[in-house]
Amino acid sequence: MTDMTKPVVAPPGSLVSGDLMQLLYRLSAALLICIILSLLNDSFLSLGNILNVLRQASLLFFIASGLTLVVLTAGLDLSVGANVALSACLAGTVIQHTGSPLLGILTGLLAGGIVGLLNGVMVTALRIPSFIATYGMLWVLNGLTYWYMAGETIHGFPPGFRQIGSGYLLGLPIPVYLLLIFLAIGTAFAQRTIWGQEIYAVGANPVAARLSGIPVSRRLLLVYCVSGTMAGLASIIFLARLNSAEADIGESLTLPAIAAVLIGGTSLFGGVGTVFGTFIGALILTLVLNGMNLLSVNANWQPFITGVIVIVAVWLDMTTRRHKL
Amino acid sequence: MKPYKGLICIALPLVLSVSLAPAARADGETVAVFTKNQTNPFFQTVRVGADLAAKNLNAKTLHYIPTKPDSIPEQLSQVEDVVVKKPDAIVFTPVDYKALVPGIEKINDAKIPAVNVTDRSAGGKFIAFVGADDYNLGLETGRYLLKTLGGKGSVVIIEGVKGSLTSVDRVRGFNDAIKENPGVKLLASQPGNYQRLQALQVMENLMQSNSQIDGVLAANDAMAVGAIEALDGANRKAQVIGINGTKEAVDAVKSGKLLATGDYNGFAQGCLATMIAIRTLRHQPVVSEIVLKPTIITKDNYQPFDVALEARICPTWDEAAKFATK
Amino acid sequence: MRESAAASPLRRIPGVAVMLALLVGIFGTIAPGFLSPANISNVLLQSTILTMLALPMTLIIMTEGLDLSMGAVVTLTSLAVAIVSLATGSMLLGLAAAIVVGTAFGALNGWLVAIAGIPPFVATLGTLGMAQGLCLIVSDGQSVVGIPRAVRDIYSATLAGLPVPVVVALIAYAAFHVLLYHTRFGTYIFALGGNREALRYAGLSPAKWLIGVYTIGGLMAGIAGLLMTARMNAGHPTAGLGLEFDAIAAVAVGGTSFERGNGWLFGTVLGVIAVGVLRNGLNLLALPSSLQVASVGFLVIVALFLDGLRSRS
Repeated sequence: MTDMTKPVVAPPGSLVSGDLMQLLYRLSAALLICIILSLLNDSFLSLGNILNVLRQASLLFFIASGLTLVVLTAGLDLSVGANVALSACLAGTVIQHTGSPLLGILTGLLAGGIVGLLNGVMVTALRIPSFIATYGMLWVLNGLTYWYMAGETIHGFPPGFRQIGSGYLLGLPIPVYLLLIFLAIGTAFAQRTIWGQEIYAVGANPVAARLSGIPVSRRLLLVYCVSGTMAGLASIIFLARLNSAEADIGESLTLPAIAAVLIGGTSLFGGVGTVFGTFIGALILTLVLNGMNLLSVNANWQPFITGVIVIVAVWLDMTTRRHKL
Repeated sequence: MKPYKGLICIALPLVLSVSLAPAARADGETVAVFTKNQTNPFFQTVRVGADLAAKNLNAKTLHYIPTKPDSIPEQLSQVEDVVVKKPDAIVFTPVDYKALVPGIEKINDAKIPAVNVTDRSAGGKFIAFVGADDYNLGLETGRYLLKTLGGKGSVVIIEGVKGSLTSVDRVRGFNDAIKENPGVKLLASQPGNYQRLQALQVMENLMQSNSQIDGVLAANDAMAVGAIEALDGANRKAQVIGINGTKEAVDAVKSGKLLATGDYNGFAQGCLATMIAIRTLRHQPVVSEIVLKPTIITKDNYQPFDVALEARICPTWDEAAKFATK
Repeated sequence: MRESAAASPLRRIPGVAVMLALLVGIFGTIAPGFLSPANISNVLLQSTILTMLALPMTLIIMTEGLDLSMGAVVTLTSLAVAIVSLATGSMLLGLAAAIVVGTAFGALNGWLVAIAGIPPFVATLGTLGMAQGLCLIVSDGQSVVGIPRAVRDIYSATLAGLPVPVVVALIAYAAFHVLLYHTRFGTYIFALGGNREALRYAGLSPAKWLIGVYTIGGLMAGIAGLLMTARMNAGHPTAGLGLEFDAIAAVAVGGTSFERGNGWLFGTVLGVIAVGVLRNGLNLLALPSSLQVASVGFLVIVALFLDGLRSRS
């Protein structure tokens, strides 16, 4: 099983590298779902619905994109949902007290980043396995958020700020523009910078990475910081979209984000995966949810169907990789 | 002179100690207050009401809230732990009105007097139940919306947590209000889990499959506000009602975004339940049920409800006795 | 950490034992009623369901795996007990149904991991969703009540002076101890985690043992489902969700490592009790709930940090 998680290198003479093939497979899976849904329901292909799907997928993507980097190092960040909640509550407070959306945005990003940094410190300096470190952090963050909010909610933000979440620019929802920007940045970072390449190396073989001079601890700190900051960014979008901050918005965000990363083809063993894959994973999950809502599938069936999709998606991924070898 | 001096030596400390000691009747009782979670603002109002009532009566409250929101096993464990601690009385909101019955029976076995608040438990012995009438709240708020629509149009229902008593009753009230108006069509009834984000996404999706929605009946305010955000985002208009009477909802009613909200006065419930608990301990007369009458908060009558939580005061016992339904 | 491993005596004291001793010491002093027999009995009783899940989880983690579906599966088996015993009037049939359902999910997990080759995290994340969905479907989101008295009585009955659930947990522990340390199966479990290649070179297929280990997990979830329904006198569609993370945390706190195939069964039990003691003590002190939430996180982090220190020095 370990063989299948090594990055697939294109044999000489082949047209495309294995990773690109995987992305194409995934993209076609997403397209297939779209086709099926449009046949089953008239409103699926309406402009309004497509924009909705893109916007909902972007919310999921922001959290999942940072998470991708962590998973690339064979780690996990279970605290992202709680991070979004705390950052949103802090940012919301700042906006309300200062009236400045900019200060609020900075607060959200900073709070998220600090949480990420703490996670990174626990994993690198304190040598705590990432699963447990971020799980513990999840509880600590929740405790902080509950104490801070004391059962209240913060609501009512300036309309200009709310445009970030619910506004449109040239017909596209603003979160979608942010999605495209971060997709580009994330992909460029992972594939084209040395830091990105080093992160892949750390995930594929930490010992070899260290021996070849890569500052493993610093790269690990980096990925957790990024994951935290992206959670901070997501919290701003949530704040703008929901026009409120509550202590429990993070409860249902973490597992879907992880699912998006996994469906997108990133391996838990590290070293394999792409940010674009995560985007497709987020898209697929959102499409499935959207489809179930449009088809009025009994809400009771939704977790079941989502669970099956996760298994099928990853299984397909593994079979196609096996096929390639 | 000497005898008087001696007398003062004895009398002074006695007088001082008596005046510094708590009053002769039983004060300083401990009331353990159980609520479902730390995140729903409704339960915060219940806790604040309970605290205020206890303070007014010289008693104290201890709060027990599951660390995992709405966790049945945790609340059962907290009940078991509390029975060891033996508070003087308990004010109890069951996380699930059926599954917590064994916990209440443990409280009964330990002979700790208990008052049931908000969610009516399916079993166990209580001194009293204090709550609101979810069914009538749903019915009246629903009626108000349908009246505003002129008795015709298309509406959607956004339900609460599936299986929770409050949601079941409120939705039943909505449905009966709709049945009274044959000109009204119910397009869909979807669960929003009492969550803002979920209701927003449900509403977005409903708007895709239904080009004309005139009214939204949401089982709580958080979902009502979520639906409003969705409508705003799509530049569509509909009349929306919620239930709870939270500050946010009152603000939304003031600004005209929300048509009305059913007043689900958690603060009063907390006050009254705690008052009954303490009065029972002091052998004062109590009532065995208070079900608050449904009140609809609208643009015309919101002023008395527009009070910050910190500034609210508990009803007096005489006022409370008037609410008694049993 | 096999019980015969040699090391300096101080290093032999596991982090979890230190934490447990500290917690008991602190709460014993400042929390009234903590050391009373009634309270100790409560803590042990409250820990039984989690123990039933954490024991198989230890084995699964030792094979470098994970079972995220346990919470949802135990919720489903708990519903199975409620629904079947309600329909047939028989507690034993309810238990049988729970064991069938639990074992089926365990086998499914095992098959997905061992045969389909899907990483355990993903496979069990998927079956979590499936089990969670089934819980909602069979119950339509409502509690299931009105079950025979016999089910309820299990929770409060005693055997040789101990509550039945505690007896069940003790028997389970004994069984797992024998399984892990005194059978061939146990040896293979250690090998699956530390040295999978060796198994393959020896011509043994890991598949059988992997399926076995996940199936045992499902079986335990089935039995735990009976205890859960007995405790609530009801089946509820969301009652056990999230327990798998508690179990994983208990296993990690107890000293079983995610990476090296080390396993310490007794440590897991100590981990479960440590968390139970923490919650119980905080309840007795009536500390604010938000502080309780944060404390659980701190406990887990500190325990693992201490363990990390020990293994490095």
